[in-house]
Amino acid sequence: MNALKRLYRRQEVIPSCKTFATSQWTSFLHFRSDLLRNNFMARTIAMLSVHPSRGLVDEKFRVEVENLPPACPVTLHCLHRSEDQDHWEAFGHYCSDHSGTVKVSEDESLGGTYSGREHMGLLWSMRPVPGSRRGLRLRKTHVDVPMTLLISVYRGHLTAGFRELPPVASVVAERWYMAPGVKRIAVEERGVTGTFFIPPGPGPFPGVLDMWGGGGGLVEYRSALLASRGLASMALKYIDPGDTPTDMRMGYFETAFQIIQDHPQVISDRVGILGLSFGTSVALTVAAYSQISRPRCCVGISGSHAYPINRPVAELFGEMGMNEEKMKRDEEDNVIMRNLILPIATDPAKKVDVGRIECPLLLVNGDDDQNWATTESAEDIANMMSVAGNKHLLTTLTYPKAGHLIEPPFTPHIRASNFIVQHSKEKVIMLWGGEPKGHAVAQEDSWKRILNFLKEHLCIEPTLVPQAKL
Amino acid sequence: MLKAHSSVTALLRTTGISIRPEVTTLRNVACMQHLLGAVRWKSQLRPAPLLTARPSRALIDEQISIQGRFLPPNCPVTVRAHMHSEEGDLWEAFSHYNTDKNGVVNLTKDPSVGGSYFGCEPMGLFWALHPAPSARQGLRLRKRDVETPYVVQLSLWEGHMTSDQDPMDEQHAGCLAALSVERWYMAPHTRRVEIRQNGVVGTLFLPSGPGPFPAMVDLWGIGGGLNEYRSALFASKGIASLSLAYFGHKDIPGPLNQINVGDDYFRSAYNLLQDHQEVCGERIGLIGLSYGVYLVLHMATHIGLKPKCVIGINGPVGSNDKWPSMMSGSSPKAVDEHGNFTVKDMTMPHNIAKDNKIKIETLECPLLYILGEDDSNCASVESANEIGEVLRSAGKAQLFTRLSYPGAGHLIEPPYSPNTSVSLWRAKPKRIRAFWGGHPAPHAAAQEDAWKKMFDFMDCNLRR
Repeated sequence: MNALKRLYRRQEVIPSCKTFATSQWTSFLHFRSDLLRNNFMARTIAMLSVHPSRGLVDEKFRVEVENLPPACPVTLHCLHRSEDQDHWEAFGHYCSDHSGTVKVSEDESLGGTYSGREHMGLLWSMRPVPGSRRGLRLRKTHVDVPMTLLISVYRGHLTAGFRELPPVASVVAERWYMAPGVKRIAVEERGVTGTFFIPPGPGPFPGVLDMWGGGGGLVEYRSALLASRGLASMALKYIDPGDTPTDMRMGYFETAFQIIQDHPQVISDRVGILGLSFGTSVALTVAAYSQISRPRCCVGISGSHAYPINRPVAELFGEMGMNEEKMKRDEEDNVIMRNLILPIATDPAKKVDVGRIECPLLLVNGDDDQNWATTESAEDIANMMSVAGNKHLLTTLTYPKAGHLIEPPFTPHIRASNFIVQHSKEKVIMLWGGEPKGHAVAQEDSWKRILNFLKEHLCIEPTLVPQAKL
Repeated sequence: MLKAHSSVTALLRTTGISIRPEVTTLRNVACMQHLLGAVRWKSQLRPAPLLTARPSRALIDEQISIQGRFLPPNCPVTVRAHMHSEEGDLWEAFSHYNTDKNGVVNLTKDPSVGGSYFGCEPMGLFWALHPAPSARQGLRLRKRDVETPYVVQLSLWEGHMTSDQDPMDEQHAGCLAALSVERWYMAPHTRRVEIRQNGVVGTLFLPSGPGPFPAMVDLWGIGGGLNEYRSALFASKGIASLSLAYFGHKDIPGPLNQINVGDDYFRSAYNLLQDHQEVCGERIGLIGLSYGVYLVLHMATHIGLKPKCVIGINGPVGSNDKWPSMMSGSSPKAVDEHGNFTVKDMTMPHNIAKDNKIKIETLECPLLYILGEDDSNCASVESANEIGEVLRSAGKAQLFTRLSYPGAGHLIEPPYSPNTSVSLWRAKPKRIRAFWGGHPAPHAAAQEDAWKKMFDFMDCNLRR
C-alpha cells in the first residue's frame, strides 16, 4: 500500500484524497495495480551485494538481493572462468519476500544446482557449463591471484540461457587462497622441490608438510590456505606427472620434513604431516617408521595404509599396474580403482604397521570413495592399532555420500575427472565418487576439524598450562 | 620456542647486501643471530599468540573484526596499526588492552584503556591513525590511486607500549604477532573511466554489472584537483559516480588559481552522465563538500537541471566570483588573525550579498545537509540554519533533512578514515595552515553515521 502511494505521489495522478470516495479509490487501485506490476521492475533498481567481496576460499560470504518486487521469482547465478578457460556455473531459484529481499544464507532455494537453505550453494554446486569438455577438475595453479566469480540475478526461474539474457544486476566477488602478508617461498634444495607458505608476523609458527596424491605435480592451494590460517606449510612435489617416477624413497620425505623443521620461523618440534590419497600412505609411513622425522601429528585424507614407502615410489606404481584386472569401469567408462587394495592385505609387509605410530592420527574419508578403499582401510587401521594398544591416538571421520577428493570447503564436488595413470601413462577418466551435497558437507566440516586438530596438537592450549597461584 | 626475528629485511638494512629470500639464507641468518645472542628464547609451554582480522581484504567502509588469542590471561597488550601513505609518510595508531581470563582480546567488544583512542572502538585503529612522530606534520591521508588498496600492518605487543618510548619495529622481541589487512576503495570489477570529453574533466566510476545504475555527481571543495575516492566507494556500492574537477586541474584550460568554468560546464557534466548508456538518466543526484555544496545547490536550482536529490556537507549558501581565487591564494580575507586559512567569516550567510546567495526556495528535490558542529573552516551551522529557514518559509520543509554532529569538523569523509583537524594548506609563498576542526572520536562517529544515512537517503531517492 505504501509502495502504491509512493508511486501515485510521484506520478501526481490522484488529486487530494479527501475528494475521493472509498469505492472509487478501491477500483482505481485495481486499475493501477496491473500497471504497477508491469512497471515495478522498471521503477525500482534491484541491488545485489556480496559480502565480503574479497574473501578467503574457506570463508563464507553473504549474497543478498534487495529492492525486488515482493514475491518475485529470481535466479541467482554464479559464473567462474577457470585458469584453463573453462566455464563453471551454479544457480538457485528463489522468491523474494514481502520486502523484496532475497538472502541466500536464510532463504530456501526452490531448485537449480542446489536446493534448500544453502548458504554457500552457489559455490559448492558449481559444475562445468553444458557443452564443456569432459572430465574437468577445478584447481588453482596461481595462488597469488584470486578466483573471480560473477554473481548475477535474473528474472524468473531459469535453468539455461544465462549467456543470452541480461541479468537484473551482477557483482564480481574474489576468492583468495592467500591472505595478505602470507609469504610464498619456492623451495629447491637438497633435492627437494616444494613451495613454502609462511604466515605474516614474526612467528614462530607450527609447521605442516602437505602432500597430494598420485596425480603428482606441485599443488599449492591447500598450503596457501593453511598459512593464511596461521600454520607454516610446505606443499611438496614428489611425483612429476610428465616423467616416470624417480627412485624416490622415504629419505626424500624425511629431508622435506627436516627443511620445514630447520626454518627459523617454524617451531621445530611442532611440525605435522598432512596427506591426501597416496599422500596418506607417505604420511603414515613417515609417522610409523622414520627415526629422523617425528611428526607431532598426522592427518590422512581419503587414504590408506596400503603401499608403504619401503620401496621406491616407481616400484609401488609398477605394482599397482600389475593389478589392473582389479580396476573396473562404470557405464560411462570411468575407471574405478577402489578394488585395487581389496581385500585388505593380511601380510604385514604390504601395509604400514600403524601400531608403531606414536602421534595423534586423524583419518578423513568419504564412504562413497570410488578410487581408494578408504573405509575398509580405516577399519583395518583401527583393528591394527587396537591390537598394538595405540588406538587412543586414532580419530576417524567418515562422511556419507562424500567422494575421494575431499578438498578445502566451498569448492565444487568432482565426481570424475581426467587422470593420467602413473604406471601406464594412460589418460583415463577416474571416478572419485560422492554426490554434491554430501561432498560439500564433508569438505566444510572436515576442513574445520582438520584445522582444529592441527592447532590442538601443534599449539598447546593455555588450559593445559598449570595456573600457579602465588 | 625459538623466536628468531632477524629477517632478510633486517639483514639488508644492516649490511646492505642484496639477498634472495631462500630457506638456507634464512637459516644461516638465524644461526648468526643465535651466535650474537640476539635470539630470545621463550618458555616451551607458551603457545604462539595469534592475531586475526576478518575480513582481511575489506572496503574502506567495512568493519574489520580484530582479535588476539592464545595470550596470557589478564595481561596488558598493545595493538598497533601502521601504514605508509602514497607519499611515503608513516601513519600509525596503537591501543592498550587487557586480555580477558581466556587470554583473548576482541576489539569489537573490549574497551581500549589507553593509546590513540579510549573505549570500545572496533575500528579505532583505522580512524585514529596519525602521522608518526618522525613523519612530517600537517598531513592529510588521501588516496590518489584508488585502484590499489591501503595495506595496513596490524601487530600485537606485550605490555602497554607507545611508539614514543619504544621502537615498535616488528623485529623487536616484544612483538607477539602481526598481519596485514588490505583496505580497498574499489570493489572487484568496479570500472574507472577517465572523462575528458565535451570539455568535462572528471573520472566516472561504474559499478560491476549491466546497469543501468543510479548516479551521483561528486564535487569537492576549493582545494581543487580531482578527488576520486568517494566516487569509487559509491560505485563499489552500486551507484555510478562522476568525480568532477572544476578548479585547479591541469586539464581545465585557464589559470589554475581561479574557476574558469561556468554553468555550461556543469550542465555538460550532468548531461554526459544522463546520456551514458549505463546510467539511469532519471535517477541522478548531486553531492558536494565545502565549496562543492554551493556548486551543487547552484546546479540544482539555477541551471535547469532536475536532480533527484542533493547531499551537502559543510558548505556555504552563496559565493561570489572573487571567492575561489581569494580562497586558494593568500588573500587576507581568507586567513584569521593567526594567519591560518579559514573562510568562516566569508561564508557566514549574513556576510554574503543577497544576489550571491542560492535561491534555495526554488529547490525541488530532497536535500540532505550534513554538518559538523565543530567546523572551524566554514560557517556550516549558520548555513544550515539559513537553508532550513528559507525552505520552511517556502513551504518545502519536507525536502530538508539536517544531520548535525557535535564534535565533528569540516572534513566529513568516508568512514574509518582519520580526521584531519589541521593541515598544511599552502607552502608557498607563505606557509598557511588550515584548521578544519573536529575531535577524533566524535568525528569518527559522525563519519560512520553520516555515511550510512547518506546511503539510506540515496537508496530512498534514487532506487525506489
